[in-house]
Amino acid sequence: MILVNYLAAVALLCIGLYAVLTKRNMIKMVMGLSLMEAATYLFMISLAYRAGSTAPVLLSPPPGKSAGDLVHGNVADPVLQNFCLTAVVIGVAVTAVFLSVVVRIAQHYRTLDSDKVRKMRG
Amino acid sequence: MRPVSGTVGQAEPVSGTVGQAEPPRVRAEAAEQEPGYRRWAGAILAAGMAVALAAAMISIPREHAALPAVARYALAVALPRWGLTEPVNEIVYGTRGFDTFGETFLLLAAVISVVMITRSREARRGYFGESQAGQRERAQADPVVETDATERAARAAEHREQGGHVPGDPAEPDTPDATALGTPAPETADAMTVVVRTAIRIALPVLAVAGLYLVAWGYSPGGGFPGGAVLVGVLLLVYAGFGRRRISRIVRPALLESIELAGAGAIIMTELLGLLLRGSFSANWLPLAAPRTILSGGIAQLFSASELIEVGTGLAIAVFALIGMGHDWAPDERAGADDPGGER
Repeated sequence: MILVNYLAAVALLCIGLYAVLTKRNMIKMVMGLSLMEAATYLFMISLAYRAGSTAPVLLSPPPGKSAGDLVHGNVADPVLQNFCLTAVVIGVAVTAVFLSVVVRIAQHYRTLDSDKVRKMRG
Repeated sequence: MRPVSGTVGQAEPVSGTVGQAEPPRVRAEAAEQEPGYRRWAGAILAAGMAVALAAAMISIPREHAALPAVARYALAVALPRWGLTEPVNEIVYGTRGFDTFGETFLLLAAVISVVMITRSREARRGYFGESQAGQRERAQADPVVETDATERAARAAEHREQGGHVPGDPAEPDTPDATALGTPAPETADAMTVVVRTAIRIALPVLAVAGLYLVAWGYSPGGGFPGGAVLVGVLLLVYAGFGRRRISRIVRPALLESIELAGAGAIIMTELLGLLLRGSFSANWLPLAAPRTILSGGIAQLFSASELIEVGTGLAIAVFALIGMGHDWAPDERAGADDPGGER
């Protein structure tokens, strides 16, 4: 039933997308973008899951088996876990960039309302 | 377009007539009153996205699919080629080391963007203490600031916090621990109560050791990435609990940025030496130690330790640069009658 996780990730992404599309407060837009990021983490970790699997660790094989057997055993996908690990840290840094832009806009325009920020409107 | 509130003259040069009949300068942030169509358009677009993605999700591999070939390959080479019992770590710093290399410099680019964007308009050396430095400029840019009792109290507290600190002043002791019990909690952003400080003292060593442990032993997944994030958490806990004076010797832009770039340089050297010594970028050029020891994994450990430096200082720079940009306001142009290039 990992499909439920996939659909939860889709729902999370779309909630974030809805916030980005409809909110005028830029802090809420950044929150929406963070939600969309979180949806990708959930999706990647769910995609890594295998039914009845163990963690991808080549340690303490069960009696009668070697570490070489673990290599072919039923484990979760380590590549997607790697993506998630790095994505979390990059996500924090990118959110910091968004927030610093928002603070600069607020200091320049004295508003967080994106409708009132229209110097660049062509 | 809709009229700008407060169409009184330019606030720029100090002149007597400015700002007297003006309504209060603080504009209430408009309650979010969305035009109805926007909500509907957003809902329809988000729902369409949901339907499209859900349709795609139906047909992607699920929990009974075989592992991808790249995952099996990584599991197979983790022990013989890298001496690592932790395949995730082997993938981060070995098999997909080039990917991690790219991510590292994506992180560096993000940190540099934050540093560029938050660069202050006045000369200052630290992340903290900006309010006094900005005082003069703010007075020029925005002379008609309405103050009330709350703001004056806050400014007085800020002054004490920033530089008006007098050693031995009973109102503001050198460390928050010198505050007598039973007195009101430490004032404004300086420190937290004794309960929180004690909790931080207990949690801090555990957190710091856990963060370093994640890096020191090559069989923890991720190594430097989560380790660096944990160390930033340690720094932020000290800042929140004990005030900026406790960390101001460590958290300085010059120091953090130098360490950050040293970490980036170490990562480049680690990967480049593989090209020079072994003929391929990010190849292992260090002897392999026995699995499950500190040195197991060859360059994976070196890469991981450099990544700890890079992530730890990078996130610290980003967070403290954001905290330090508080008082850097631009002149309020919208108070002016003519708004050059503004609302058109």
